[in-house]
Amino acid sequence: MSRKSFPIRSSGDEIRDLDQPGYYAGFSTMAQRKYWDQTTQDVVSDRVQETPSIQFFSAQEATLLTAIIDRVIPQDDRSAARTIPILPFIEERLYSNLLNGFRYEDMPTDQEAYRLGSAAIDEMARTRFEQSFVDLSVNRQELILKSLHDGKPDPEHATWQRMPVHRFWGLLLEDCVTAYYSHPWAWDEIGYGGPAYPRGYMRLENGLAEPWEKTEQRYDWKPPADSVSEIDAQGAPLEHEPLQGHGGTH
Amino acid sequence: MPHRLGPMQTLPLPMHRFAETETVDYCIVGVGSAGGVLVQRLARAGFRVVALEAGPFWDTENDWVSDEKGSHNLYWNDLRITGGTHPLALGANNSGKGVGGGSVHWAAFAPRFHPSDFRVYTQDGVGVDWPMSYWDLKPYYELLEREIPVAGPAWFPWGDPHGHPYGPHPLGGVGDVLVRGCTRLGIRTVAGGPVAILSASHGDRPHCIYRGFCIQGCKVGAKASTLITHVPDAIKHGAEIRSHSMASRIMLRKDGRVDGVMYFDRDGGEHFQRSRAVIVSGYAIETPRLLLNSACSGHWQGLANSSGTLGKYLMAQAGNVVAGRFDELIRLYKAPPAHALSEEFYETDKRRDFARGFAVQTVGPLPIAFAKQMIAAMGAWGWGLRRVMMDYNHWATLGVLGEILPWEDNRVELAKEKDQHGLPVAKVTFNLHDNDKKLIEFGKNKVMEIMWAAGAQQVVQESRFAHLVGAARMGSDPSTSVVDKFGRTHDIPNLFICDGSILPTQGSANPGLTIQALAARTADYLIRQGDSIFLSNQRDLTEPEIRYDLSPPYTNFKGNPRIA
Repeated sequence: MSRKSFPIRSSGDEIRDLDQPGYYAGFSTMAQRKYWDQTTQDVVSDRVQETPSIQFFSAQEATLLTAIIDRVIPQDDRSAARTIPILPFIEERLYSNLLNGFRYEDMPTDQEAYRLGSAAIDEMARTRFEQSFVDLSVNRQELILKSLHDGKPDPEHATWQRMPVHRFWGLLLEDCVTAYYSHPWAWDEIGYGGPAYPRGYMRLENGLAEPWEKTEQRYDWKPPADSVSEIDAQGAPLEHEPLQGHGGTH
Repeated sequence: MPHRLGPMQTLPLPMHRFAETETVDYCIVGVGSAGGVLVQRLARAGFRVVALEAGPFWDTENDWVSDEKGSHNLYWNDLRITGGTHPLALGANNSGKGVGGGSVHWAAFAPRFHPSDFRVYTQDGVGVDWPMSYWDLKPYYELLEREIPVAGPAWFPWGDPHGHPYGPHPLGGVGDVLVRGCTRLGIRTVAGGPVAILSASHGDRPHCIYRGFCIQGCKVGAKASTLITHVPDAIKHGAEIRSHSMASRIMLRKDGRVDGVMYFDRDGGEHFQRSRAVIVSGYAIETPRLLLNSACSGHWQGLANSSGTLGKYLMAQAGNVVAGRFDELIRLYKAPPAHALSEEFYETDKRRDFARGFAVQTVGPLPIAFAKQMIAAMGAWGWGLRRVMMDYNHWATLGVLGEILPWEDNRVELAKEKDQHGLPVAKVTFNLHDNDKKLIEFGKNKVMEIMWAAGAQQVVQESRFAHLVGAARMGSDPSTSVVDKFGRTHDIPNLFICDGSILPTQGSANPGLTIQALAARTADYLIRQGDSIFLSNQRDLTEPEIRYDLSPPYTNFKGNPRIA
C-alpha cells in the first residue's frame, strides 16, 4: 500500500507530486553514472531498479510500518513514480539479519524492536483516537509519533517500559534515513554530487559546483501547514541527549 | 584476474601457503593497523608468519564502491552488546573487518601523540604514565610517516614540532571554515594534514582526487591502509594472510607457553595453526574478547589476565560533532574529511577545571551520516528532517577530539549472547567521569565558538565518541597491566598483544599512526630478540635499535622535511 492511500490533506498543493523536490532543479546524479566505476554503477543502479520483496513482516505489519515510515520521512511532495522505497530496505536488513555491529544492553534484537514498537504505536492510536494508526489522519499520526520523538509517549504504553522509547525512535529514524539518503533521487534533492570515482572533484572551495553539478536555486519551501514535525527553533529537546551519533566521521 | 589493490597495484601472487600441519614462527591474529605492519616486518626479517584475518581480503576495484551505504561491509557488523551511562556506538563508528582492518575506513588523520601523553600521571596527576617515553617512539613516528606516507604542513607547531614528507592538500569548504573561525579567535591551525593521504603519487599509488569517500574505503589507493602499504610487501617476502579466519581460542602447551591458535574458516570448519609465538592484534574489543574466550586451567580469568586488568581501562575519545549552517554554500562532501586541525587546546591548562585537553578537526559526513547527525543534534524528523537535509550543502562540520581518561569501570567483558560460531560476544561498558564531562563541555563550547566566529548563522552539536583504545594496557607493573612496553604479556612469554588495546592513555590525537609506530617498534624488538622469544622465558627489556632497512619499497628518504 502506498502513502497515496492516506489522506494528504495536510500537504499544500504547491509541493505535491514533484519529480524532484529541493533546490537543484535539473540535477541528476544518475545522469553521471557513466563516469563512475563499474562496481559502483551496478550497486547504485540496482538500488534504483530493484526493490527487495517483503519477506520478514506480515502484510498487516508492512502496511502499519509503511504508514509510520510515511510520517518519519514524508514523501507526499514526491510523485508516485519518484517515491523512494524505504520499508523494503529495512525489511531486507531485518530478514537477512544484517546488523550494525552493536546492540544496546537495554534493547531487544532489532527485529523484535520493530515488532514491539510498531504494535505499540498502533495500540496507542487505538487508545487515543479509537482508530488504527493506518486509518488516522496525517496530523493525528504525527501527534502519536511526535510524542515518541519527545520521549513522552502519549498515551503511555507498556512496551516503552521494556524498551527505551528514544532508542527505538533512533533505530527507526536511522534505518529510514539510510534508505532514503542512499538513493540517487535524494542526492538530487539535496544537491549532493554522489559517486566520484574515478573522476573526482576539482572545485573544492567556496561551495562551487563542478561543471556537471547544479548550483542552488532556492525558493520558499513550505511544509504542510498543520505538520508538527518541523524542527523546534531551539534544536534538539533535552530528551534527545542520549541519542548519540552512530556515523563514523573521525 | 589480478587481485587489485587500488587502480595500479596488484597483489603479488601466488601467496605462499603454509601446510595445515606446519608450525610457523609467528601467528598474528588480525591484519589491521598493527597486524599489517607486524606481518610485513617479520616476513622481511625472514620469519615464517601466518596472519589470520576474520574478514575478507579486499580486491579494492571489485569489492569497494564509491557509495556510502554500499560500504557497510567494511565494518565489524557482528553483534556486540554496548552499555553503561554513555554506551559506545560500535560497528561503522570504530571497527573494521577485513585485511587492513580499521585502517581501511579511518579518516586518516595522522598526528603524533605529544611528549606529555606518555607521562600524564607525573605531569597532571591523572591516568597513568606509559612505560616508555615519546622519545623512544619518535624515530618510529618519523619512519611510519615516510612509509605511509603522511601529507601535511612542513611546520606542525604542537607537541614535538615536526614536518611531513608529503605536501599539504588543498583546502575544502570545511577546512576553510575551521581556519577562518580559529584565525578570528587567535587560535593557530594547520591545514592540508597531517593526514595519511597522498598529495602526490607514490610508488604504485595515485594521489588523492578529493572525492570525500575516505571512510568508505579509498578506491583510489591514495589513502593509506595496511592493505596497500604493508601487506603486499609482506606477501612478497613469504608471509601468508589467511582471510575469513576467525580466531576462537589461543591454546597453551603443558609448560604454560602458547602453542597456537584455533580458528574457524568461512564455512565454519575449525582449524589449528601451531606457532612458536602468537601476537594478538584484534583491536580494543576483539583482543580482550579472544583472550577472555581462551580461559583455561590455570588461567580461569582469561589468558594474560593474572592482574585482572584485561578488558579494563578501555578508552574512546570524545568525538562531538559541531555543525554550523552558513548562508553561503559549503559542499562538505568534497575533499578528504580530515584535512585541517588545531591542537591549541591539547595540553592541560591550569586555568580550566579539568586535566588534559582536546583537538579541533574537520569532519565531512556524507548524506546518511549527516542525516543521523541532524537526528541527534536537532531532533530532526518528518518534514523538518527533509527540510534541513535540503540545506546539506550549507552546513560545515567540525569535530572535537577529546582525551577521555582511562577508568577501570570502562571495560570489555563476555556477554551471554553468542556469535555465529557459538563464541560469547563482547559486552562493552562505558561511563563518563567528572573530568571527562568537564572536558567535553568545554571542548564542545569552544568548537561552537569557532563555528560562530567563522560566520555560521546556526550552530548545533551532537554527542559522539571516536576510536577505541586500551583494554589490555602496557605497564611496568605486572599487577596493574597486561603487557610490557614491547607488547609481551606479563604472564606468558611467547604471547604478545600489539594494537590499540595496549595504549595506557590516548591523548587527543587520532591513534592510527601511534598504533603503527608501536607495531614497527615491537617488530624490531622481536627481530632483535630472535629465537629467544621461542625458547626462553627471560624478559629482556633493552631497547632495540631501529631498523631502517625493513621499510616497504619507495619509502627510503633522508628524513622528514621540516622548517624552523
